[in-house]
Amino acid sequence: MAIAKIEGVRVSGIASAVPDTLRPVADFDETFGAEDVRRISQSTGVERRGVAAPELCCSDLCYAAAKRLLEDLNWDPATVDGLIFVSQSFDFSSIPATSCILQMRLGLPKSCAAIDIALGCSGYVYGLWVAAGMITGGGLRRVLLLAGDVSRATSPSDRSTALLFGDAGSATAVEKDSAGSPFVFQLGTDGSGWMNLVVPVGGQSSRHPRDSTTCVRKQAEANNFRSPEELFMDGAEIFAFTLREVPSLVSGVLATAGWNKEEIDYFVFHQANKFMLTHLAKRMKLPLQKVPFSLKEYGNTSSASIPLTINSELGDIISTQPLKMLMAGFGVGYSWGACTTILGPMVAPPIILVNKSEAWLC
Amino acid sequence: MDEKKFLTDMEDLLELDPGTLDCATELESTERWDSLAFVSFLAVADSNYGVNVAPKELQQCKTVGDLMQLLSK
Repeated sequence: MAIAKIEGVRVSGIASAVPDTLRPVADFDETFGAEDVRRISQSTGVERRGVAAPELCCSDLCYAAAKRLLEDLNWDPATVDGLIFVSQSFDFSSIPATSCILQMRLGLPKSCAAIDIALGCSGYVYGLWVAAGMITGGGLRRVLLLAGDVSRATSPSDRSTALLFGDAGSATAVEKDSAGSPFVFQLGTDGSGWMNLVVPVGGQSSRHPRDSTTCVRKQAEANNFRSPEELFMDGAEIFAFTLREVPSLVSGVLATAGWNKEEIDYFVFHQANKFMLTHLAKRMKLPLQKVPFSLKEYGNTSSASIPLTINSELGDIISTQPLKMLMAGFGVGYSWGACTTILGPMVAPPIILVNKSEAWLC
Repeated sequence: MDEKKFLTDMEDLLELDPGTLDCATELESTERWDSLAFVSFLAVADSNYGVNVAPKELQQCKTVGDLMQLLSK
C-alpha cells in the first residue's frame, strides 16, 4: 500500500517561476463571447495565466526557479547529488531526459543522479515522496525537485481547456536532516480514467502517432473545436473522480499522521479549478481561509501549482515560521497523492518572472 | 423528493427566474445547460441530496424530470 511515514529529511526552500507574459482571460472574448468567458472565469477562478512564449520550455521556468533557490540557500551546486524533473512537457519529445539537460545547465556534479517523472496534477507530491526516499533510502544528501508544465497542447477553440491552464515551473530543495519533521504520504492510481484527460495523438513511438490528418481541428462537442493532437478534458468526469477520491485521501493521510484537520495551518491543494476546490473544501468541512488559491493570477499550473501557491500565497509567513501543512494533488492519470508535514521557516522568494530571452539555446 | 425545492435548485443552477421550470422542460431548450451546468449539477447532487451522479447517466437526461429521477435512485 502506498502509505509511508518518512523521517530524516527536510524541505529547505521552494521557488516558483512563471513567464513574464501573464495574459488576461479576456483575450478570448472575441473567440467565445465575453459573456461565456465571464461565466467560465467565474467558475474556474482564473483571471490571468502565464502563457510562455514559443521559445520557452518548462525546463527554462524550472531552471530560473532552481538558480534563484540555490543562490538564496547559498548551496554550492557541487553539493547537489539528486535532481528530479516532474513534468509532462519535456525539452525533447522523448530522448534524452530533460533532467539530464538540467543537470548540465545548473552545473550539478557528474556524481548527481537525475530522473524525469511524467506526472501532472499529482506530480509534486510524487516528487516529494521520491526525493525523500532518495535521501533516506537512496544514499543522497541534497535533492532538487523541479516540477511544472507548459500547457501548449490546448486548443484555443476549446472552452473547456483554453482559459484554464497556466505555465509555471518550480524548484524545491530537499535535504538530509535527522531533526526534520516526519513526512506522511498517501498515493494512489486509477488508470481506468486515462481517457478523461488525454492528448490522444503524438510522439514517434506513441499509441497513436501523428499523421497528415491529426493536426486538423474538428468540432468536438458543443462549440468546441480540437484536433486529436490537442488536450481533451472531460470536466464532469474529472469532478466526479475528485469527489470519489479526494475526501478519503485527505482523511487517510491525516489518520496516518495522527493529526486532526483542525490543527492543520494550511491545506494546499493542486489548483484544479476554484469551483471544484471550493466544493471539496465545503464537503470536507475545511475553513476556506486555510485553503489558499493562486488560480486567479496564474491558472491551473499542473505539477507546479502546490509550490507556486506556497510562494505566492504563503511566502511571507512560511519564511519566518513553521506551518503544519497538508498538500494534495489529484487529476490526470488518474493519479493522486497527499502529504502532511511541517514546513518552514524556509527560503521562499517571491514569484520569479521569466523572459523569453532566458530560453536555453542549443 | 421535494419537487418544488428541486425545481428551485435547478432554476438557481441555470440562472433562471423562479417558476420557469417544470419536470417536462426539455434541458436543450434552456440556454445554460452546458458543460459548466453539468459540473454544477454534480455538485448540487452531492451537497444538497447526498447523491454521487455518474456523468454518463447525466448526459442521457433529456428533461428536468429525468434529472430529478437521477437523484431519487
